[in-house]
Amino acid sequence: MGWSPARAHPTGRVDDAKTLYLSLFTQHGIRPKVFTGLANYVRVLHDGQFLSSLGTIAKFGVIQIPVMLLLALALALYLDGLRSARWRSYFSLSFFLPYAMPTVIGGLLWGYLYSKGLSPFNQMLAPLGGQIDFLGRSGLLWSLGNIITWTWTGYNMIILYSALRGVPGELYEAARIDGATNLQVIRFIKLPMVAPALALAALFSIIGTLQIFAEPFVLGSLTFVPTNLMPNLYIYFTAFNYGNFNYAAALAVVLAIITFALSLGMLALLNFQRRRL
Amino acid sequence: MRKLWLVAAAAVLSLAVAQTAPSLPSYSGPPVTLTFWSWVPGIDKAVAAFEKAYPNITVNASNVGSGPNEYTKLLTALKAGTGAPDVVQIEYDFLPNFIDFGGLADLSKYGADKYSSLFVPWTWSQVSPQGKAVYAIPQDTGPFALVYREDLYKKYGLSVPKTWAEFEANAKKLAQETNGSVQYTDFYSTYAPWFMGLVWADGGRLWTHSGNSWTQSLNSASAKKVIDYWGKLVDNKYAATLPDFTSELNSALAKGQITTLIEAAWGPGSLASRLGSESAADWRAAPLPQWGTDGTFHSGNWGGSSTAVTVQSKHPDAATIFALWLNANGTALGLNWENGGLFPAAKAGLDLPALHDSSKNPSKFFGGQDIAKVYADASAGVPTDFQWAPWFLYANNSFNKYIADAVAGKTGWSAALDAWQQDVLNYAKTQGYQVSGQ
Repeated sequence: MGWSPARAHPTGRVDDAKTLYLSLFTQHGIRPKVFTGLANYVRVLHDGQFLSSLGTIAKFGVIQIPVMLLLALALALYLDGLRSARWRSYFSLSFFLPYAMPTVIGGLLWGYLYSKGLSPFNQMLAPLGGQIDFLGRSGLLWSLGNIITWTWTGYNMIILYSALRGVPGELYEAARIDGATNLQVIRFIKLPMVAPALALAALFSIIGTLQIFAEPFVLGSLTFVPTNLMPNLYIYFTAFNYGNFNYAAALAVVLAIITFALSLGMLALLNFQRRRL
Repeated sequence: MRKLWLVAAAAVLSLAVAQTAPSLPSYSGPPVTLTFWSWVPGIDKAVAAFEKAYPNITVNASNVGSGPNEYTKLLTALKAGTGAPDVVQIEYDFLPNFIDFGGLADLSKYGADKYSSLFVPWTWSQVSPQGKAVYAIPQDTGPFALVYREDLYKKYGLSVPKTWAEFEANAKKLAQETNGSVQYTDFYSTYAPWFMGLVWADGGRLWTHSGNSWTQSLNSASAKKVIDYWGKLVDNKYAATLPDFTSELNSALAKGQITTLIEAAWGPGSLASRLGSESAADWRAAPLPQWGTDGTFHSGNWGGSSTAVTVQSKHPDAATIFALWLNANGTALGLNWENGGLFPAAKAGLDLPALHDSSKNPSKFFGGQDIAKVYADASAGVPTDFQWAPWFLYANNSFNKYIADAVAGKTGWSAALDAWQQDVLNYAKTQGYQVSGQ
């Protein structure tokens, strides 16, 4: 989700081994670098700004990921239930469209919709005497969540929808003969069949959430966005704004380990459940 | 006989002039090509004029983004050891960062120190902070003035404020008269250098250093006076908090919802191009309001850039010549004012006819007013010994955080500066700087 600064920077792909290597040194500007072992990592563990960015992303993910996946699931079920193939392809394309839009363009577009004075939402609310500060202190994370949900719901919907299309028609036929209602078909056939795809989508979403970068970065030109709002934003500022590439490398390695651990944990949980079934 | 004497006198006189203003160096080396990063609009015109004057030097100018966007690329290229341009535009406040990083060449090795007298004094102390090594050539400056909508001042019966007390009285009067629908001014809450410029105008200092030890006073009495003053304006809703350079601010200005701004010398040009025909010719400039009435006029500075040469340059001699010519040659200064709105750091630039041409922007946008005169006076009132720290970038970002707290009413304004001072101090210490707070 978004892009990772290390990967997209014009100087090319900084590979993981190099990142690991860099993180073991300390270097002031372009003066000779000094081997400092794990000192950078010790600092990461005490870095309040980084830890708070992890806290923010955790809170963010706990709300945003389920909302997005439920929405994607609802849309996929709706699409799957449509009889007309033409409407199915029309809707699947239009739900998917936000994902096809470059993140930066999407961010700028939403930035305009969110601006206090120019927002069409606020102009609609004006007669009621209300005005929402979408990019203010309390609104910012919700607004970001909305942008990311808008972008990625379609993507997740496609994953779930493909899984639904893969369900053999005989199952539905058998259910109908047994007199199952639409809701029962969803509950006892579609949902169990789509569960593995849903788990996969959840895994992708967790990894993606940890990498959010472009959306808050773009909004930063329109409002105050803390440089440590999200871990990747903090890594970006540490490296490319403050020039502390070595420490940023250590931060990136720690973030990678957290991502890896979360993914493994998620997979283990799924396997455990599958075995229980 | 008398005629001959006159000729001789003229010759002596011109010699004297040549001595006070050293002529720019010539280039006799082999043909070279320089790369140049700058975000000044239309800088290519001055570059073309340079290539004409120096046929052996070719300059490839490119715009890789403005301000921080350029700095991230520069920092990365410097760190990578390759890919940095020969010549690069850097704002004064960001210079110590790059000097400390080890990325800028000392131009005094190529004779740049001989040209200090060509530039407004405070700019030279910015590019040569220790007074010896020269890390850049001053390009333009951003001394502060007050810019206001004359039509709105007439409509609401406001007079141009000479002091900050009058400024506040205007704000109050306007709020009462319009029931708060028109705000007097705007507080750029996400632009630390704007706030710092106002502290600068008050004679405050944020950083000083001797040798390797630094003193930081982001929460000095002067800084607190300035922030409390603006905080009161914000709390009373006299001042909006729309970030600069946003379409939201442009729209509020065009609609007459904000009447007055504190703008640097490059601000009028920026306003003219951002607002286009909206509110054109309604704007005027006046000297920055003063705190006291001690008779001496003070102003501060926001932004302004310098032209530096990176340590990666293979032709630092030619690069130095280019940097000097671009910022001290009359033709270049005229072109840069017209196309890029650059208010020159070179003394000679302040008298250029082009700056005072009322038929062209930005003067045209200001109803034909000679705004360059207002800003030249402002430039003379800027204290010369203001310094930035190598960890300015962090201080810059950190400011936004604490001021956002204050804008939201979560902390007091002075308290925000205290927290800011502490946070930046901690950061500087973890970076290994010898720094104490004051």
